[in-house]
Amino acid sequence: MIANTSHKSKYDMEALHHPYPYQEELPTQQTMDAMWRLFLAIGEFWEIDADIEAMSSNLVVFMSNRIQVNPTYVAEYANAEEVIDELISELGEAEAYKKLFTDPSANISPPTTKLARARQLVSNEFVALQLALGGFKTFGGAKNYLGYISGANIEGDTPYRTYTKEPK
Amino acid sequence: MNVEIVIVGSGVAAAAVADRILKSKPTTSILVLEAGGKVKMKDFSIYQNYVATGGLPYNEYYDEAPPTRGCKGENRFTGNTEMSLQGSRLMMYGGSTVHWDGYSFRFKPEDFHLYTNTGHGIDWPFSYDHIEPYYGEAEGFLGVSGDSNDPSVPRSTGYPFIPFPYSLEDTLAIEAFDSLGLEYSHLPIARHGITDTTSPTAPCQTTGTCLYCPFGARYNAANTLDDMQTLESYPNLSVRTNAVVEKVIMDSKSRAKGVLYLDKNTGEYVTVEAQTVVIASGTVESPKLLLRSVSSFWENGIGNDHDLVGRNIITHPWITFETTLDRNPLHLQPEMAFPTLVSRHYDSEEEQANGKYVLINPPSTPVINLAQAMQDGKTRKEIDEMVSGKTTIQFNAMFEIFSHHDYQVTNLNRISHLGMIESLLNFNVNPTITNQMKAVEATATEVFKAMGATGPVTTDASWGAHHATCTTRMSDSPELGVVDANLKIHGVDNVYVCSNASFSTLSAVNPTLTLVALSLRLGDRLIGGQ
Ligand SMILES: Cc1cc2nc3c(=O)[nH]c(=O)nc-3n(C[C@H](O)[C@H](O)[C@H](O)COP(=O)(O)OP(=O)(O)OC[C@H]3O[C@@H](n4cnc5c(N)ncnc54)[C@H](O)[C@@H]3O)c2cc1C
Ligand code: SF4
Repeated sequence: MIANTSHKSKYDMEALHHPYPYQEELPTQQTMDAMWRLFLAIGEFWEIDADIEAMSSNLVVFMSNRIQVNPTYVAEYANAEEVIDELISELGEAEAYKKLFTDPSANISPPTTKLARARQLVSNEFVALQLALGGFKTFGGAKNYLGYISGANIEGDTPYRTYTKEPK
Repeated sequence: MNVEIVIVGSGVAAAAVADRILKSKPTTSILVLEAGGKVKMKDFSIYQNYVATGGLPYNEYYDEAPPTRGCKGENRFTGNTEMSLQGSRLMMYGGSTVHWDGYSFRFKPEDFHLYTNTGHGIDWPFSYDHIEPYYGEAEGFLGVSGDSNDPSVPRSTGYPFIPFPYSLEDTLAIEAFDSLGLEYSHLPIARHGITDTTSPTAPCQTTGTCLYCPFGARYNAANTLDDMQTLESYPNLSVRTNAVVEKVIMDSKSRAKGVLYLDKNTGEYVTVEAQTVVIASGTVESPKLLLRSVSSFWENGIGNDHDLVGRNIITHPWITFETTLDRNPLHLQPEMAFPTLVSRHYDSEEEQANGKYVLINPPSTPVINLAQAMQDGKTRKEIDEMVSGKTTIQFNAMFEIFSHHDYQVTNLNRISHLGMIESLLNFNVNPTITNQMKAVEATATEVFKAMGATGPVTTDASWGAHHATCTTRMSDSPELGVVDANLKIHGVDNVYVCSNASFSTLSAVNPTLTLVALSLRLGDRLIGGQ
């Protein structure tokens, strides 16, 4: 038995996993500022006990990596900015972010509204990033977390919490 | 095209054989043919995509789900249990180690004598002592971190890297094992540690995103193949992706001329002539390739005069036991992506006739997902309560399954989305397996009780072909198996099956360390011209 496969055109091949070449178009400074305020708001809302100010360059790198993997993220960040602006003008700052973070309708997948896109493709991703950059320590004092670069397995300086009693 | 050695498949078996040969004879001409494509490794944006969304870059190289009404699907399953292919192997450059977990156990000495000890299956054609030095080398090849003083299996050399200490999450299981008198040890895992020698592989940074390791610290054959092509000077090594081998071409009953492959890039069929053919295409595809290599010399497929090619397929059930604890005072939560604690207490000669098993404390227990909770809109107070209050705990088990002639994989007359011939797989959970499952469940219930669990225990057994073995099993005689002790097909001088397919039996533990030991040994045999 021989496979009778018609061959793939070169346009079908191995595209999904190859990031596009770096896009010239980046979010505007105004959008970047809005995204940074969103990132800070996440920390405030959940009372994250970490040096969030020190994470600003990580956020910039993260956003450009997201755009590199999928250029539509430029539009997602602009959408999130627009949604947040609108919510703030309607509800005031605290309630606006609360709605973005907690409104159950914004978490229905796949996202079909602008609010849902802002929540799922931007805010939720920033949540994952902030935890992975050290925010996780707020919740119960763990030393390591999935996505956190905790360091190598060095004797006497294990990069995660260990079982200390001498096992039998 | 003419080469010394053609290898079908580019997984860890292929990488280990090629690496072994080229280290000793760097100018050997080796062509590796891989049906799937290639994905970029150690890329920071792909890693961040995974952190942010859980999205992996290689999903297209999995099998699709079986057909359902209205959905074309892939592969067919008969028997009372689907030994699922979807998610259980990756068909791409680097093969299944691109997404494996890296548990790297040695078999125990009794595993090589299953038939003699129990009457089940067959014996391996050699003993543990024979393969023991290669286990040490395989641990070096995979970069295993483990406890060199672990008494559970005899060893003549230490692990290359120190073990990962027990995590705080292991507390409940360790205390339960202690109170029940169960032995346990550090789980040997293919994660690079710190070394004072130069190495192209970075040490593990415990980032916990091992399905896409940004550093290449978890062993992955794609990285080995990349290193061989970029860091080493192997002028005659070539790896061709999107090349589906259709058939092994025979010159006579005892000699292969080479292989025929489909170049998916051009749609053309290409013949490669080779002095030696190494089939390293996994437990499912290796026998299928032999079965479709029909000729006047081998009317039922190469090596199949005794109807054993594709027969006897078995795998481990991956069992997850789950229950609840009323409180979580230590705020235990997942800190790691890989486990650090295993009990091989019941992986013993005493249990061999009933089906030996291992117990693993998974890194996902207690089941707490901080990101999910925040993304779901839970408040700080609710999350604090989630971390300290009632919680779900789990542990995993695997047990040995015995082969049966009716368990079988063959070619199906359909082509998959990867341009490969689909599989027809027959497997049954029989009364022996059901009884084995009950014994493991009884132990799980005891362990949970000793942990102070209060909720009911649930059991979920998944039958993926992750650890599928035995489809071209190794034996002294062609009446019992397909390949000989050197992985060479009985009756053929120059075709080898270097795969879990050639395991004589399954054992209770993951297969890859043993596979690498066999692959390095095959490399030595081929260097020696055997
Ligand atoms: C989720 C998961 C977790 C696992 N975790 C562990 C673990 O912790 N420890 C452990 O020991 N094992 C583990 N395994 C099993 C482990 O991955 C395998 O034992 C190992 O990768 C097998 O290597 P291989 O080289 O034989 O085959 P593979 O890695 O499967 O490579 C075979 C290659 O051959 C190619 N191929 C097939 N047919 C053809 C053809 N006709 N022409 C050209 N190319 C072809 C395939 O595309 C594939 O790339 C795990 C497996 C899975 C799925
Ligand atoms: S935990 Fe180690 S092996 Fe896993 S992704 Fe991080 S560095 Fe790689």
